[in-house]
Amino acid sequence: MTAEPHVLVIDDEPQILRALKTILREQRFRVTTASTGEEGLALAAAQPPDVIVLDLSLPGMDGFEVCRQIREWSHVPIIVLSVRDREQDKVLALDRGADDYLTKPFGIEELMARIRVALRHAALTRGPKAARIQSGPVAIDLVSHIVTRDGEEVKLTGTEFRLLAYLAANAGRVLTHHMILSHVWGPEYADHTEYLRVYIRQLRKKLEPDPEEPQILLTEPGTGYRLVAGE
Amino acid sequence: MRYPRTFPSYLLRPVLALLLIALTTAALNLVRHDLNTATVAILYLLPVGLSTSLWGLAPGIVAAVAAFAALNFFFVEPYFTLTVHHTQDVLVLVVFLIVAGVLSQLVSRAQLGQALATANEREATRLYELSAGLAALKDEPSIVRLLAEQALHAFEAEWVEVDIGPDGPGSGMRVRLPEAGTPPAAAPAVVAPVRSSKERLGEIRLWREGGALSEAQSRLLRTFVGQGALALERARLAEAETRAKVSEESDRLKSALLSSVSHELRSPLATIKASATSLSREDVSWDSDARRELLSAIEEETDHLNRLVGNLLDMSRIEAGALKPDRKWNALSEIVDGVVRRVREGPGGHRIEIDVPEELPLVAVDYFQMDQVFSNLLNNCLKYAPPGTTVGIRAHAPDEAWLQVEVTNEGPPVPAEHLERIFDKFYRVTHADRVTGTGLGLSICRGIVEAHGGRIWGENLPAGFAFRFTLPLAWEGQPPRALFEAEAE
Repeated sequence: MTAEPHVLVIDDEPQILRALKTILREQRFRVTTASTGEEGLALAAAQPPDVIVLDLSLPGMDGFEVCRQIREWSHVPIIVLSVRDREQDKVLALDRGADDYLTKPFGIEELMARIRVALRHAALTRGPKAARIQSGPVAIDLVSHIVTRDGEEVKLTGTEFRLLAYLAANAGRVLTHHMILSHVWGPEYADHTEYLRVYIRQLRKKLEPDPEEPQILLTEPGTGYRLVAGE
Repeated sequence: MRYPRTFPSYLLRPVLALLLIALTTAALNLVRHDLNTATVAILYLLPVGLSTSLWGLAPGIVAAVAAFAALNFFFVEPYFTLTVHHTQDVLVLVVFLIVAGVLSQLVSRAQLGQALATANEREATRLYELSAGLAALKDEPSIVRLLAEQALHAFEAEWVEVDIGPDGPGSGMRVRLPEAGTPPAAAPAVVAPVRSSKERLGEIRLWREGGALSEAQSRLLRTFVGQGALALERARLAEAETRAKVSEESDRLKSALLSSVSHELRSPLATIKASATSLSREDVSWDSDARRELLSAIEEETDHLNRLVGNLLDMSRIEAGALKPDRKWNALSEIVDGVVRRVREGPGGHRIEIDVPEELPLVAVDYFQMDQVFSNLLNNCLKYAPPGTTVGIRAHAPDEAWLQVEVTNEGPPVPAEHLERIFDKFYRVTHADRVTGTGLGLSICRGIVEAHGGRIWGENLPAGFAFRFTLPLAWEGQPPRALFEAEAE
């Protein structure tokens, strides 16, 4: 890997491509662009990028299909761009394997933050599966099931640990309500978001320095949750 | 009852007439010595008249001739011959024959007249029923149905099919009566085209045992079809008129929307353009404050435009009746947090005070639409709030069925006469030049809240103004979802 991370941007709007190319290069990224899904897939296979920024509404093959096909052979982080108008699409894209999403129009600091999170996430999960995830003062050991905060062990219930472990194993990724409920409670609980809220609140009380201003377990409004990894 | 079937009625009736004359002859024969020839002749008129009125003209004539023969044979001297001796008897016989013949004619004509009158009356009744029924109907399907029902009775048909469409038969709806049973395989006995003044609308098909229609029935059918065509034409005209009205109304709305929107879209664009072109001038070196000022103008106006486009999209969805909430169990606190984080505090430096407890029961709402409601209400409150004041968002559950939400400011009251109308499309209390807005935001809020089964209204407070709305806690028969305390393991 060269010093400059490689970003592949797939979007059919020439103006967005032009702006992103300029801005990302300025931020020391190597940028490749594609204006159709097919072209994007070919580029992703030819020069595997470190992160993909993908627009959902593309001519021909749409963003969902691109997402699905890339996930067949690669774990490269995918950040989806969607217009607010297509809220359900966002959830669908996440369910199809996208890591994160951004609503158009977006601020560039927002995009840069998401790209950095995705790259960090990729670095964490590259190679042998990470057994220990650090998030701020909290360390989660997925093998020994021990969670510590500032070095002191935190007692978690079985459900709390399963929930935290699932989020930690996917650190940096947005997990939808549906995904979390099906995975932790079982498919028949997939629409019982009240369970999720109760347990997320419990976890925040036990882990977050300030449960009202969470830094570790972030809410993605209307969509799901994400655990932020890193020191 | 096989007899009448194998023996046709046109043969049976004259035979019955002959039998009646024979009976009369036998009866008269018993009292022949008390009666003279003239009396007998008069008495013979009785069975002749009876035969005509019972069985028609031909049996009547048969009876008259038979009576004449019997009178001559049995009651005129010399008896049991057909010869006549007395001039007087000749006279009686001749007069009898004439009277009997005329009588038969008269009786039969009277009867025909009666039958015709009855038929005419029935026809008039049918047509009256039809036109009265048609006059009450405005839509094509019910007209077609009524035509079929009436035709079935009026023409004693076994099957009736009315086939009407915009491009003639086979292009629209088809009603076949009676509905039960297998449809006829044979070709219809009668096919009557239904035509308006301009085009062919369709046709009526009749299947009946008697085959083709009589002259009177054909006439009835023509009138019938004419009435039906008129009613159908009227229904189509009425429908076209309604469509024209609707499209006129939507044109009016569209032009109101366009004039409102083009102004609203252009002003942020003007700011953006001015700021961007200023920043890209090479001959001016902006100090950092000025740069920041111009850049934040661009950013704010972009957000404004984005909100505007969102509102326009929602409005068009409400207009098209396509605003179907995608309801899921959501926490109101999460929605409000998301909105407040996005809505920048205005230049007046307002404080936003939130009291939406996390412990409130979940509510089944479309996240994105509810986000839109809060964002519109909040922006509206901020817009009219005096600088430095507080804008509040509060929610509570007064009972187990409803959630009540309010968004308040410390701004000026809204005159009572405007309170209801502020939720109307394009309705503006203030003059459009002084405060920006499309007049869409609040009507969208109402559309969304009502689509969720709630109610929204405005209220003046002792010091300020409040938007209030309710949301039902139960959804699709599912009880409210309260947040419970996690179990201790």
